[in-house]
Amino acid sequence: MTFFHYIHRDTVLHRMDGRFKLLCMLLLSLSASFASQLQHYLVLLFVVTLALLIAKLPFKALLKDLKFFGILILIVFVVNAFNIPGDPIPNFPITSISLQGVITGLRFAARLTIIIIVCAVLTGTTPLMTLRNVIEWYLRPLPFVPEVRIATMINLTFMLIPLIFDNFAEMMKAQKARCVELRKNPIKRINFIVFPLLNQTLRRVDEIAYAMEARCYSEVRTRAVFKSNKIDWLLLAICLSVFLFVIL
Amino acid sequence: MALLETQDLTHIFPDGTVAIQNINLKFNEGEFVVIAGANGSGKTVFARHLNGLLKPTKGKVLIDGEPITKNIVETRKKVGLVFQDPDSQIVGQTVAEDVAFGPENLNLPVDQVEAVVKESLEAVGLSRLSTRSPHTLSGGEKRRLAIAGILAMRPKIIILDEPFTGLDYPGVVQVLKQIIQLHKTGHTILLITHELEKILAHADRLVILHKGKLVEDGKPEDVIYRSENYGVRMPLRDGEKVAALTWLK
Repeated sequence: MTFFHYIHRDTVLHRMDGRFKLLCMLLLSLSASFASQLQHYLVLLFVVTLALLIAKLPFKALLKDLKFFGILILIVFVVNAFNIPGDPIPNFPITSISLQGVITGLRFAARLTIIIIVCAVLTGTTPLMTLRNVIEWYLRPLPFVPEVRIATMINLTFMLIPLIFDNFAEMMKAQKARCVELRKNPIKRINFIVFPLLNQTLRRVDEIAYAMEARCYSEVRTRAVFKSNKIDWLLLAICLSVFLFVIL
Repeated sequence: MALLETQDLTHIFPDGTVAIQNINLKFNEGEFVVIAGANGSGKTVFARHLNGLLKPTKGKVLIDGEPITKNIVETRKKVGLVFQDPDSQIVGQTVAEDVAFGPENLNLPVDQVEAVVKESLEAVGLSRLSTRSPHTLSGGEKRRLAIAGILAMRPKIIILDEPFTGLDYPGVVQVLKQIIQLHKTGHTILLITHELEKILAHADRLVILHKGKLVEDGKPEDVIYRSENYGVRMPLRDGEKVAALTWLK
């Protein structure tokens, strides 16, 4: 599983100041949420694909991993296609699908795909600890917000997501090796995966908590030092331009 | 005065399972102690008490004559615990980031954190891998990373819980060399294992736990012949001496 794993490379995006990177990714995600016209989606897809290429992340492996999200994207598309009222599609056998529903479904699917790629670029080019420090930096000025605790929780969540996916993939292989596909009852098949996965994840969380405690985990920690340069400002300006292009 | 001491240390889980019972042990500075026992003998629970991760049902743990509860952070700095599964100990996404986790928790200044990370990685020979993702390391390298993460806290005592589990021959040799090096540099080593044939030649003392109780404590050459009574394989063949029990040539 390549998604959500940090992959070390020496690229502009890897060297970018984490504060700027998070801001850029937020702008791109917001742009995806506000996008309404075809040209918006094309520009956004171009930008995020370019980011993937610049980051030298394994494009094919990411594409392969996208199948895990494929089901989610498909559900979003189908739900929209069937539920949005409108004109039937000419010469299409299923009359309950509307043209407007298909268009809205495609829009949501495209938004979701862009946001997933943005997340892949962010997590693939930013070590979790940097991401954690950036979140802490942004939350620090806010009063009554336990910024260190929140940053650590986000850090641990991001750390666990790829581990859960890895475990899931491993369990699937192990179950396939014992011909699980011959079991036709989907609920039973889900049961075989969900409970062991949950069990293993909780055990792992427990071990991580012990390991952090053993290394004196504290909320009074060394604060990270950030440095920005002209390239960071330039990349922020590009993302801001894309955002303005979409919303204006 | 012993560096680390347990007095009547007992741990009973909420379901009533007795993990360890009335364990009295003293560990002196610079010692190399192997703690052996079959699965479920209470070795890991015992180790976690020494670092203050678990609270005893009865008894106490003393460090330099003081209860560890007096200053738990200081205890965890002094007593480093390397977990059985290194993956659960790794919290950073790069090797250097993971080693920095401990010193950052101690709120050291950034330049000191960087210095101690560099020093710890050099000590375990992982400097060239500092930017790598820990999950891409080999088994032996991961164990050495876990050790570096502990070294960065500058401990006096290092507890290694089953450090050879799942390692191939080169991995075991790498880790073994590292442990011996740590002992040479003055660290007190408490090593938990049931694979005596890999390490016992380097130990000063062999302790055996059985069903949560301390059943043997003495020089390896005195204790080893009784190890099979407690489910720990006696690795010596006829005529062999304890000095042969190492995977280092």
